[in-house]
Amino acid sequence: MIDSAPQPHRPPPATRLGLPIGAIGPLFVVVAVWLSFWSPKVEVPHAGVATVSRDRFLPGARRQPIGDPPATNVGGFSHACNECHRLFDSPPVSRRTLMQHTAIVLNHGMNNQCFNCHDRKNREKLVLHDGTLLPFSEVPRLCSQCHGTVFRDWQKGMHGKTMGSWNAASGKQHRLSCNDCHDPHAPAYQGIIPLPAPNTLRMGNQEPAAEQEHRHMPLRQWSLPEMPEPELMGPVQPGPEPTTPAKEDHQ
Amino acid sequence: MTIRIWEGQSFNDPPPEPQREAPVTRRSFLRTSSAAVGGVAALAAALSPLRDLKEDDAVSIDKFLQKHYKEMTPKEMEAALARISADVEKRYNIRPDIRDIKPMAGVEFVYALNLSRCIGCRRCVHACVNENNQSRDPEIQYIRVVEMPRGTLDLEKGNHHYNRPTVPDAGHFYMPVQCHQCANPPCVKVCPVEATWKELDGIVVIDYDWCIGCRYCEAACPYWARRFNFTKPSVPADRLNPEMSYLSNRPRPKGVMEKCHFCLHRTRQGRLPACLEACPTGARKFGNVLDPDSEVSQILRTKRVFVLKEEVGTLPRFFYYFDERYPRSLDPQAESVAKSLGHAQPPAAAPAAPQEGHR
Repeated sequence: MIDSAPQPHRPPPATRLGLPIGAIGPLFVVVAVWLSFWSPKVEVPHAGVATVSRDRFLPGARRQPIGDPPATNVGGFSHACNECHRLFDSPPVSRRTLMQHTAIVLNHGMNNQCFNCHDRKNREKLVLHDGTLLPFSEVPRLCSQCHGTVFRDWQKGMHGKTMGSWNAASGKQHRLSCNDCHDPHAPAYQGIIPLPAPNTLRMGNQEPAAEQEHRHMPLRQWSLPEMPEPELMGPVQPGPEPTTPAKEDHQ
Repeated sequence: MTIRIWEGQSFNDPPPEPQREAPVTRRSFLRTSSAAVGGVAALAAALSPLRDLKEDDAVSIDKFLQKHYKEMTPKEMEAALARISADVEKRYNIRPDIRDIKPMAGVEFVYALNLSRCIGCRRCVHACVNENNQSRDPEIQYIRVVEMPRGTLDLEKGNHHYNRPTVPDAGHFYMPVQCHQCANPPCVKVCPVEATWKELDGIVVIDYDWCIGCRYCEAACPYWARRFNFTKPSVPADRLNPEMSYLSNRPRPKGVMEKCHFCLHRTRQGRLPACLEACPTGARKFGNVLDPDSEVSQILRTKRVFVLKEEVGTLPRFFYYFDERYPRSLDPQAESVAKSLGHAQPPAAAPAAPQEGHR
């Protein structure tokens, strides 16, 4: 009876917060019901299915070398070399611009004479420095006259590409020849278009700036597009910036 | 408060009758019922993610009871392959040629990559994705081609997002990184369920049906070679490679790890990995290191070979090597590269610099 004695000046505890305590239970119910029917719709931008056409990475030789015996396309028809060349004699040394075979670009360093490699009389053969004629299928022997170390590596499979099998004993192994990859007239490897970069954040294709360098934080591009490039992330490569102070010192 | 009311009663009163023990007042009814409704609603909220489950998210009894790869008898393996084949056919409408291919005797595989030849074209990356049925969305790729400034091997300076009109770039070299199939693999050590292990031919493999998806191996790998399927992998049906094996390129479920396995479904049958076949420069070399005449053995003997992060003691089976190059003084790029790196001028250009300074 002592406990239940009335305390007239004290408001009932439930209404002290101005909120009836009975409202908390229904509030929880409402929140719980809301949570159970509400699905978060988080918009994650992504690139979609990135498909790269299979013919971009076909195995095999990089170029189609000339056959043996060689033939060339004149006027839409395939002709053997000697069909024309047995009619016309060639000068022993010629540096004039070719009237035929205009597709050939000769860019082979100091090796800039046709008859260094081609036989002057029999155009369907190659010629070694000692005058030995060589069929077109034995190109590596011709190239080895100058590119000895590469030839040595190629013989052991350390240069060039091996197809078929890793197991030489299987008999399915074959090694691509020099001219399966290199154009004999311009043997330097030309640059090619790279396939798409990895899309690590599913944020669509990332387009690095032209002078792209070392992006440690791909997130930066997505979340803070206006942020200027921080010093640390800046190009390690050249650029005129690092050199300008040096020039001023000299002057 | 109700108790107090009863305390107020005299003990001399007759004992309360059973039906009078707790009269349901309005207050107690509201309290109890709101608690009950709240509890049910909270349970419903907790279970609500189950609404997102799809029909094929449930694990079949056969898969649940399937044993570890090493404990399966040939008959059980046959049953597992039949189950996987049926799953693939149901999902992609393609009947796969799925097998369990064992290591060859007397073979240990080794990979060698020529950094002098790699041009960073990423043909290997996409050939690998195509061969191994990796997820296209989100993208999972086993190979990362890192573009590195010339003159350093500091991977912190590498960039794998490079996107140039043509490669290679003059001031950079390109270093593809994939699973190194370590002889001392940290990923295998940390796996709590032995879902990943080293095979006799040196390939580190994963049993996708045994993996619990804890991602410890991903954290342990110093080469960032392991990938996790956060979602169910999506592979277009017309790009599915039907030639599969249990340990390599069969479609993975959601929530498991995967990684490069040296295309074991190809290489254990004598063929070459897909990345090697797609390489346009022949920078990639693969073979049996136990055969002294194999290409990789010759490379390891004669070339300048190094492994990545040698100091962590993982003993990789993936080697990088260089070719001889022509003298730096003749290299047209050497000067600009040396300048960009802040090195001293190469000898050929050295006399010019002091003259400028004196002027």
